[in-house]
Amino acid sequence: MKRVLGDNWVLPALDDDNRAFFTSGKLVVQQCSQCEKFQHAPEDICQSCQSFELHNFESQGQGKVESVAVVDHAIHPSLKDKVPYAIVAVSVDDAPGVLIVGNVIGKAPDDIRIGDNVSVVFEEVDDERSGERLTIPQWQAVQ
Amino acid sequence: MNDKAAICGIGETVYYNRGDSPHTEFQLACMAITAAADDAGIAPDEIDGFVTYSDNRNGPTRLSAALGIQNLRFAATTWPGGGNSVAGAMQIAESAVRAGYANNIVVFRAIAQGQFGRFGQAGGSSGMGGGYMAGGAAFSGPYGLLSPAQRCALRTARFMHDHDISQEALCDIAMACYANAQSNPRALKSGKPLTREQYHASRWIVKPYHLYDCCPENDGAAASIITTAERARDRKNKPAYITGAAQGDGASYSTLTPDDLATSFYTPVAENLWGYTGLEPKDMDVVQFYENFTGAVLIALSEMGFAPPEGIEEFVSGGALVGPEAKLPFNTSGGNLAEAYIHGFQLINESVRQIRGTSTCQVRNVEHALTVGGPGYAPGSAIVLGASQ
Repeated sequence: MKRVLGDNWVLPALDDDNRAFFTSGKLVVQQCSQCEKFQHAPEDICQSCQSFELHNFESQGQGKVESVAVVDHAIHPSLKDKVPYAIVAVSVDDAPGVLIVGNVIGKAPDDIRIGDNVSVVFEEVDDERSGERLTIPQWQAVQ
Repeated sequence: MNDKAAICGIGETVYYNRGDSPHTEFQLACMAITAAADDAGIAPDEIDGFVTYSDNRNGPTRLSAALGIQNLRFAATTWPGGGNSVAGAMQIAESAVRAGYANNIVVFRAIAQGQFGRFGQAGGSSGMGGGYMAGGAAFSGPYGLLSPAQRCALRTARFMHDHDISQEALCDIAMACYANAQSNPRALKSGKPLTREQYHASRWIVKPYHLYDCCPENDGAAASIITTAERARDRKNKPAYITGAAQGDGASYSTLTPDDLATSFYTPVAENLWGYTGLEPKDMDVVQFYENFTGAVLIALSEMGFAPPEGIEEFVSGGALVGPEAKLPFNTSGGNLAEAYIHGFQLINESVRQIRGTSTCQVRNVEHALTVGGPGYAPGSAIVLGASQ
């Protein structure tokens, strides 16, 4: 899908911590190999047991809106024709304990409610700097 | 170890709307510091320490040269962050004075956004360099989550949802600040009272925040001088003793998690502050809460222990925060919203005035004055000043 905030909007700068999240075409959440707890954003150490043994868990991509803030005031010129847009914090059904930030498609911003079910979809865009094809997780409203 | 430290001098510049300062930021810093020295009854070159916060640009060596200080003995800043650390900076100065490392430590904040660009502008000085966002911002910027207002709005929206809090509670915070500013000639919103109708008619910035829920951006500087209680007693103004200060952070606060979504990060600050001082919220005669956003203040008021979340709307309603006779005298100079947004340092000076009895919205018989730093960012910080040692 095209990007929610426009194909010219800022991209994530890829690094070793976020490459899987933004290029794998799956919803990826960091998981501790020792205690199996999830954490996001990725960190160098498990915040639950302090293990360095961490891996990427591939989620099925179902989640729930835990909070929503509807942006009416564009704070960057290139967002002026994108407002209002909704920012959501989504909990992931099969990776408890984390929240993923995103936007929601398939529902008007002011109609999005805490508790709404959502499923992951992906913005696809070529990243000229890294030469990689990005798959940026977003959320589709589930009726 | 000295028994106690005290604030013996306060100073500030004229406060300006953003970009309107005729002075450079460094000049503003020097003006506030020399005014505080004068208020303390010392010469500027008797200052022997500087402490600040919020990525301050005005360094200690430049200041000591400018002020003719021959023996700068202490300089420190809090870790990077913003107004969450305002009372943390006071705690550092208090610790150093009590340890005897310096005798007259200035804590200050200065900002001139005409000179340096907007502090609060997303992607401004912090950069959306070349259309990319890196590190933690890579997980938020591409989704248009850029500003402190947007981050705090996510937390406030969940807090309002969980505890059935209406927009009127946010309005009550804003209206109290504006009302209390009307008697304060320093306040930028003096002469501009806010009605409930104006509040609701104002545009949305990011729901649930209207324009009046968000602090303005201002230019100016404010400073306090910390010394030992013993020295403070010999100075020209009544000492404001530092009863105790605290910082606080929780293990899960560095990331957005479901359990801590609706927080202002002040639960650990409250535990540390009330534990250290042996005091409770009901012992506070007057409070100053850093309002970056009204909704974040509601959460902080609750987390600091003034009312449970489910009772916070009733607690702030009906003018409960307005005026010197209020149920809880609150942001008596107008706060960040209506006096000026000097990253909360003007709140420290207002607490000192309340202890001295010189506020323009003076509460009677103030024994303890609380100042709470910026909510929604960790580590938070808070400080209690006392009229007696």
